[in-house]
Amino acid sequence: MWRKFLRRLYIIKILHSAVKFVLSVLVLSAFVFIISRLAPGDPLYAYYGERVEKMSVEEQEQARTRLGLDEPIPVQYVRWLQGAVRGDFGISYQYKADVKEVIAARIGNTLLLGGLGFLLIFALALLLGLFCAWREGQAADRMICRIGTVTSCIPEFWLSLLLLLVFAVWLGWLPGSGAYSVGEEGNAADRAAHLILPLAVVVLGHLWYYAFQVRNRLLEEVRADYVLLARMKGLSGKQVLYRHCLRGALPSYLCMMAVALPHILGGTYVVETVFSYPGIGTLAYESARYQDYNLLMVVSLLTGALVIFCNMLARTVSERIDPRMRMRTIADGGEVRDL
Amino acid sequence: MKKSVPFLSLLVLACIMISCLACGLIMTKDPLYMDLTHCNEAPGKEFLFGTDTMGRDIFSMIWYGGRISLTIGFLATLLSTALAVLVGSVSGCAPARIDGILMRLTELILSVPPLLLTVFLQAVFGRANVYSLSVVIGLTGWMSMAKIVRTEVRQLKNTDYVLAAKCLGGGFFHVLFRHLAPNFFPSVLFMAVMNVRNAIVAESTLSFLGLGLPVEVVSWGSMLSLSENALFSRAWWTILIPGVFLVGTLLCLTNLGNYMRGNSNKRHSNLRGNE
Repeated sequence: MWRKFLRRLYIIKILHSAVKFVLSVLVLSAFVFIISRLAPGDPLYAYYGERVEKMSVEEQEQARTRLGLDEPIPVQYVRWLQGAVRGDFGISYQYKADVKEVIAARIGNTLLLGGLGFLLIFALALLLGLFCAWREGQAADRMICRIGTVTSCIPEFWLSLLLLLVFAVWLGWLPGSGAYSVGEEGNAADRAAHLILPLAVVVLGHLWYYAFQVRNRLLEEVRADYVLLARMKGLSGKQVLYRHCLRGALPSYLCMMAVALPHILGGTYVVETVFSYPGIGTLAYESARYQDYNLLMVVSLLTGALVIFCNMLARTVSERIDPRMRMRTIADGGEVRDL
Repeated sequence: MKKSVPFLSLLVLACIMISCLACGLIMTKDPLYMDLTHCNEAPGKEFLFGTDTMGRDIFSMIWYGGRISLTIGFLATLLSTALAVLVGSVSGCAPARIDGILMRLTELILSVPPLLLTVFLQAVFGRANVYSLSVVIGLTGWMSMAKIVRTEVRQLKNTDYVLAAKCLGGGFFHVLFRHLAPNFFPSVLFMAVMNVRNAIVAESTLSFLGLGLPVEVVSWGSMLSLSENALFSRAWWTILIPGVFLVGTLLCLTNLGNYMRGNSNKRHSNLRGNE
């Protein structure tokens, strides 16, 4: 009976978080909706292009009515919400197709780039952090810290330009734009070649931030008293580091990476734009530029919902693993600012 | 192990800043003049850093444009720091309910991808100029700092001297500026330096993407927005040189910020006792 009571409590907790999640997404959608409607610029241009200038005033009015753009903002929002609940997110003005289709055609590319980037960062940051912690204060550690600080200072777009200049223009080894060459859509090798440069930028742009956190966390761990005890009992330094210190640092690392997931997965805008890689990032950029409201809503809600979800997940996981977990460090754990 | 003052970074930063401020004395050409007979010229005697695709002298543009990049960095930081201190301390002192609402709001804004947020806000302001861009970047950069200020204020507000100040009739702003601010100043200072860095990155990224300053307004970011042409014509100097100045400034700011954070591990590692 006691156990049943606990389980019920757990369900309440889940429900509570679900309600919180839905509420946050709702507020977010209202926020995005209102701001994008307040922006000057005419969505008719996205739909009709230059033809808008040739249309008479009446024709413009008719088009606005047809697209539902002539009503007050709250009414438009409620209408959008009604559609969204039924799974109808409207059409993209620019592509003149269902928003879902436009996104579905591109999301795979972004997930591939962001997902691979995330996995690489996840593994490399841990290895690099371990290595630096092991060699603390030695030349190798100092060198890596130096290089890391420099790479973390390079804006993503400039790094992309630099790599493009060297590998695509000067050496001509790698293709500089797109996700595949024309007509080679199914060719895996061609896709991989197109992926190398964007992936390198994504990884290099984020790697040091996380590796440095791992290093610092491990350095704290290494100064604990249990290390002294383990060493006294005859374990080698490496054994202590891998078996004990790493274990102590892992929970906070997992949480940090849970928060980082949406940052890396959704933060490929700049890279995608520079490499004209057809993904969600280029879509977001275009839709913001050309006032493609319906598309913009879904793209920003998608990333926003992912961020909110991952943050809640990280919080729950960290509280389950270690109740003493200081939420401060995790909640702020994303990057200070990650363009 | 006390961290040493980053003299080199300070020196480089000071040099760049002074040169940008005194750009009139250094510039060899008019940075806005488009010399169409000298487009895309490689660095040489006449054009120290070469010319860009529009025939402007890059050497002069660096100093002239640096002024704008740095101005945006500092203006945006001023705004975001002020906002962060205000929101953070109100949230820290307020009753739990208001605190909760403010923090949820902060987290909500944090969950919008920063680039999208900046683009939205910039769209509301219309065509970008130096001031509107600073305001937009400032408005999108206060959230993390506000959270840190809040945590600090939460810890400080229960101390005896704050209580004493309140009992003596000190108002909210008096307590904030005379008692709380001096205590959270160090951690805010670090964040502020990082904010300058982030604002400069934001400006250059936005201008590069064509969403920030237009090409006619010279800044390090807008100089790089011509790089697509430069890639085709293999004019490496138009990409490399502004970028090196940009990254150099960012690196100096980072070193400075890390020095200000100043938490070095003083205890000795237990991992290698007597190896």
